[in-house]
Amino acid sequence: MAEDFNVEGMLDIFLFESEQLLDNLQDIVLEMKDESRFDDDSINEIFRVMHTIKGSSGIMMYEDITTVSHKLEDVFYYLRDTYPDNVPHVKLVEYVLEVADYISGELEKIKEGGEPDGDSSKLVAEIDSFLTQIKTGIIDSGEDLPPENEHQEATQFYIPAAPGEASKYFRITLHFFNDTQMCNIRAYQAVYELKEYAEDLIFSPEDIISNEDSGEVILQEGFRILLMTKSDRAEIKSILEKCSGVELVDIKESTAQEMMLGFSDDVIMEQPSPIVIALDDEEAKKAKEKAEAVTPGDYVVVKQDVGKKKQIAKHTKGPSKAAFMSVSVEKMDQLMDLIGEMVIAEAAVLENPDLKVPGLELSNFQKAAGQLAKITSDLQDVTMSMRMVSLQATFQKMNRIVFDVSRKLDKDIELEVIGENTEVDKNIIEHISDPLMHLIRNSVDHGIEDKEGRKAAGKPKKGKITLEAKNEGGKVYIIVRDDGAGLDKEKIYSKARQKGLIDSRSINEYSAKEIYQFITYPGFSTNETVTEYSGRGVGMDVVVKNIQNINGTLEIDSVPGQGSEMTLKIPLTLAIINGIVMEAGTGLFVIETSLVKEFVRVNEDMLVHEPNGEKYIMIRGECYPFMNLAKRYNMMSTESETIEDGVVIVMDYDGKNICVLVDKLVAQQEIVVKPIPNYIKRVRGLSGCTQLGDGSVALILDLPGLMLGEEKVK
Amino acid sequence: MKILLAEDDFASRKFMQKYLDKYGECDVTVDGGEAVDAFLMALEDEEPYDLICLDIMMPVLDGYQVLKAIRSMEKERGIEGDKMVKIIMTTALNEEKNVRVAFELGCTVYCNKPIDQEKFEQVLSKLKLV
Repeated sequence: MAEDFNVEGMLDIFLFESEQLLDNLQDIVLEMKDESRFDDDSINEIFRVMHTIKGSSGIMMYEDITTVSHKLEDVFYYLRDTYPDNVPHVKLVEYVLEVADYISGELEKIKEGGEPDGDSSKLVAEIDSFLTQIKTGIIDSGEDLPPENEHQEATQFYIPAAPGEASKYFRITLHFFNDTQMCNIRAYQAVYELKEYAEDLIFSPEDIISNEDSGEVILQEGFRILLMTKSDRAEIKSILEKCSGVELVDIKESTAQEMMLGFSDDVIMEQPSPIVIALDDEEAKKAKEKAEAVTPGDYVVVKQDVGKKKQIAKHTKGPSKAAFMSVSVEKMDQLMDLIGEMVIAEAAVLENPDLKVPGLELSNFQKAAGQLAKITSDLQDVTMSMRMVSLQATFQKMNRIVFDVSRKLDKDIELEVIGENTEVDKNIIEHISDPLMHLIRNSVDHGIEDKEGRKAAGKPKKGKITLEAKNEGGKVYIIVRDDGAGLDKEKIYSKARQKGLIDSRSINEYSAKEIYQFITYPGFSTNETVTEYSGRGVGMDVVVKNIQNINGTLEIDSVPGQGSEMTLKIPLTLAIINGIVMEAGTGLFVIETSLVKEFVRVNEDMLVHEPNGEKYIMIRGECYPFMNLAKRYNMMSTESETIEDGVVIVMDYDGKNICVLVDKLVAQQEIVVKPIPNYIKRVRGLSGCTQLGDGSVALILDLPGLMLGEEKVK
Repeated sequence: MKILLAEDDFASRKFMQKYLDKYGECDVTVDGGEAVDAFLMALEDEEPYDLICLDIMMPVLDGYQVLKAIRSMEKERGIEGDKMVKIIMTTALNEEKNVRVAFELGCTVYCNKPIDQEKFEQVLSKLKLV
């Protein structure tokens, strides 16, 4: 849809507006669902929405949509004047949502180029009997039935263009053999041959028939054609190659915009051009509207020469002033990549070994370098902020899910949303939508107990799910919390045993969090009964996989009887981090600066060796797990150094600490995170790699992995 | 049924004429100016058209001007409601603003090219022309 947006065709506008209205409708309904009845404002609003959709779908001749919206409009027409007491509110809410779903479904079909062929008769019949019921209610209450809602048949109609294969555009250049006579006439013959296949055709030079000299030009520069056709490239090529005298046919894909431009200025436009959405002040807006308004007489064809496009009276001027524009995501990604490369290039310049020559006078260089570094980091920030999108829309979807699923399961659940204005990278939004939906469903289905269960546990009748988002320390936290029964540790443990996910360790040797993690393993589901929404044992593993794709983690916590909490932690930026580069043995490593608590020099006495080979280190009376990074990754250099020569980095991840010994610290700098190439096996504890200024490769440490990894090494 | 077709492009004209012929007598003009003349002539002969198909991009007068002229001439003569001629804009212009202006000027149907024949027939029967 976004790509088609700049067309602003009638159909697009219809779809766009209807979708907006339906979203609006859904919001109102969900807001009112817990009330005892719709209030006046919401009734008017729903009436208006249905009225508009009825009208516009009538013009577009989508009759089923018209009928359905008309029916619902009728219902609210009667409610508007007299609201009888006998209206089952929940039923009504369901009907409105059903109608909204039906229409969205049909719109979706239209969008994909199909026909809206869904059967509406059952829905209409249901609402019809509902309407009769309301009418009796009105009569019973002693009020007069308002006059029939007058339904005006649409008197104007719109027929969208016949669906069919999309037209293709080609930019063709014909080159003739050097000694060809009368190139112009041969060129015209080629044009004539093409005409049968062409929907539109422009060529240059234009005066090939009247001007004999044009033959010379064609010989020199080639004969250029812009072609709009339904035929494919090969077909066009074979037609042209058959023409006499043609030496070479060069066919390139082109676009409608280029076709519109013709050969007038020979600018090859990049295709999805930015679209102006809004203008910043009223005046400019008016000016733009005026410039863009269609008035009779604008489309008088002034002249149409052979081979030229139609010239119309009005010259369209470009919009004057733009405050917003939409840009294709692809370009944003490109920009991001380029900035990443620039950060590397910058480091390559600033850290260049040539500068290390002793005795160089570098103060001017350093000044300029400082300026450059500032600009690059600003550029990075701005680009990042351009990609930020609020979570609001994603969270709003969850509202509907809670409503639907809880009604089906006969549970009474309220969804509380906190921090929906938190902004995250667009990339992240795309990746978390599905996992989040899954987590919410899980909470509704497994988390919150059924009505009897809650009563027995002495909890309030209404279950509560909290969806929270916040930004903290360069990470986005998205938390799904419910006040349900919580996770059953024993059950999960025994199930994990049964599935062979656990070695011989007993339940007490695992921390609660570790046990909860088992539910994220493939094929794991403790729910005995499979419901429509969850319990099939696919899910949590997919959730985790999706989250891992964006370098995030899922953490599960639960208090039996009081509820559970799922926390998604996702790094705010995927591409560039601020990191500390260090050397350990023969390898270079990077750790995110924000994870580092301190650097300390230690000596052998501070080490504690456990009998099982694990090492701990005592720093100021506190005991931390200890690891020699070079040893861990088998990168020991030949001369073995003592612990006194190295530096210990105390790192903190999510309340857990770990100490890592490295040989020396190299630098603190911006690090462009690159994935470890596919052909290299995934190594635990490493999340990516990067290229440093001098061209060497450093490995980026992944703390949670590093902490887990210890067991395996042992 | 008496039909007027205004279309400047030869290929479209040929196609439309062939297509409309089966519904009745079809007069053809190649620009907007002729279209207005033809409409007036038919009015004066008291054999008005039942349906007018207008292209938008045309020489002399464009489709909008023709549409506007026809509607105001009808108004002047007190032709109202169902008596007004049904006007179908047939055009490749599909931007919303184009459609809106056409509706505001009083066209009956706005039909994008290439023409969806099935829907076209549906509309004709809705308008009780066939």
